[in-house]
Amino acid sequence: MGKFILRRAAQAILVLFVATLLIFIATFVLGDPFSSSGEKAVPPAIQAANRAKFGLDKPVPVQFVIYLGNLLRGDFGIDFNQSRPVSELLAATIPNTLRLAIVAILIEIVIGVAAGVIAAVKRYSFWDVLVTVTTTLFIGIPVFVIGILLVANVSGIGPFPAVPRSFTVVVPWYQEVLLPGFTLAIIDAAFIARLMRGSMLEVLRADYIRTARAKGLSERTVIGKHAMRNSLIPVVTYTGISLGALFGGAIITETIFQYNGVGYLLSRAIVNSNAPIIIAVVIFSVFTYVLMSLIVDILYAYLDPRIRLN
Amino acid sequence: MTSSTSADAAGALGLPDATVTPPEPTAAAETRKPIGQFADIWLRFRRNKLAMTGLVMVTILIVVAILSPFITPYDAKEQNLLNVLQPPSANHWFGTDSLGRDLYSGIVYGTRIAMIVGIGSVAGALLVGVTLGATAGYKGGAWDAVISRIMDIFLAFPYLVGALLIVRVLGNSVTTVIVALISVSWVVTGRLMRGQMLALREAEYVEAARSIGAPSSRIVIRHILPNAIAPVFVYSFTSIGVAVVAMASLSYLGIGVPADIPEWGRLVSNASNFLQTPGKAFLWIFPSAAIAFTTLGFAFVADGLRDALDPKLRGSN
Repeated sequence: MGKFILRRAAQAILVLFVATLLIFIATFVLGDPFSSSGEKAVPPAIQAANRAKFGLDKPVPVQFVIYLGNLLRGDFGIDFNQSRPVSELLAATIPNTLRLAIVAILIEIVIGVAAGVIAAVKRYSFWDVLVTVTTTLFIGIPVFVIGILLVANVSGIGPFPAVPRSFTVVVPWYQEVLLPGFTLAIIDAAFIARLMRGSMLEVLRADYIRTARAKGLSERTVIGKHAMRNSLIPVVTYTGISLGALFGGAIITETIFQYNGVGYLLSRAIVNSNAPIIIAVVIFSVFTYVLMSLIVDILYAYLDPRIRLN
Repeated sequence: MTSSTSADAAGALGLPDATVTPPEPTAAAETRKPIGQFADIWLRFRRNKLAMTGLVMVTILIVVAILSPFITPYDAKEQNLLNVLQPPSANHWFGTDSLGRDLYSGIVYGTRIAMIVGIGSVAGALLVGVTLGATAGYKGGAWDAVISRIMDIFLAFPYLVGALLIVRVLGNSVTTVIVALISVSWVVTGRLMRGQMLALREAEYVEAARSIGAPSSRIVIRHILPNAIAPVFVYSFTSIGVAVVAMASLSYLGIGVPADIPEWGRLVSNASNFLQTPGKAFLWIFPSAAIAFTTLGFAFVADGLRDALDPKLRGSN
């Protein structure tokens, strides 16, 4: 087990390193942010001073090594537009995105598992058809359409804050996170419901379920205890790998709801070519993904000893 | 099933017609009838109502994409500032946008770009993913290790984040959107293919081919690929819809397909200023519906294909 964890961790670090290098090269290709020409050109001396300030006057490989060194100390540099430390921007937005992600995951698991179990247990009933039709529809609709629908019809009503809202209005986080969380959750909830239905149907055919029923256990115990536990495995896998996609969805959702998270930070930085923020947020998202898949793999190896040998 | 169909099938197999005795139309005769693999798949596909609905939807999309100049009453780019934000009417079926452009024409032309990006990016991802995945799975060893690590790295970038970054670096154009979507989606195809390859590499019929001295290229292309490609193909069909949504999402964020090309995501995004204005919902409802129609159409076909290719899988997931 120890050996397995070590090998997986080494792979994760390699992926992280190469990904960082790629992002760095990518943003370098974006071009020199301080060059200007024409009648209102910035004097060359000031251009040079700006480049020196952001460390862009050194050769790219040197910049990369310096960046890595700073990164290990938690320093992500300062942003091009307002010279704020990027680490502070991340510190201000990451908790919001984490809250959004956790709320979304809770919503999608509760809705998805419940809908999947009902559809499987009452197969071919009205409820099964309802679940199948709704999940198909939700998988077809893009996240931003669902977000727009909610902004247009639900925002500003009852506990849901208006979008956009003025600076003076203070809303507790649990009210602010509700609609974006639901938006982010709904498509994955549909996927989970389908997965859960499929795996539940499979498990319900298994011998040990027949045994459980033959022993005279109540249907509630058979479904809730024996069938649930095994049919949850694909759901756990899916939730683990969907975290990366969740972040992609968070960019859209946060932008629609103008939610102060990492995704909104990234979408603004990309529009403004604010490279230090782009690099930092992409590294953050890659890091999160690599860490999550490492945890999922280790959990798997723990649950199923055969995997450790591969 | 009529006897003429069975004669057609026999003819297709190169059997002389004279040998075919018209069978009684019974269930037993139907199962014994010699038909090709594709005819068999088509038969099962055709029986699936949802799959056929999907096929009709996809056909509509492709026909609309090809015929767009002939079925649009206006130039989709033509602005008319005297006629902005008009609700749907006989002149403008889907209304007009904030610059007075005809929304119906915009959506019809948007189909074209959606099909080019959706089908183009998925075809590219298939080409790259199948080639790299198949060689990695068949050869194994160092090549497999290298490809697998590269896949890990590509997989570490969330789909949309990777696409955003690549489009931003390469610039806004239809080609760069396609390249970006290929870069973020080939990995899944590659992984699927590699897994299939690993499983089939040890199959008995492959060993038989190897023992009679068939070269690896022939074994892979003629023997393994036809058996391994089914799940990859099914996945690809679904991912055409995913690619269309991704393209629309990029446009929604303001990058990707250039602003002068009518595109569904941008039409939705243009509507965001009028979200809470009563009576202006037509601005985003029609383009959103077009996107949903596309994803659903391709997803139905993919589901139907999955069931038709492997009847054992029917009903699971």
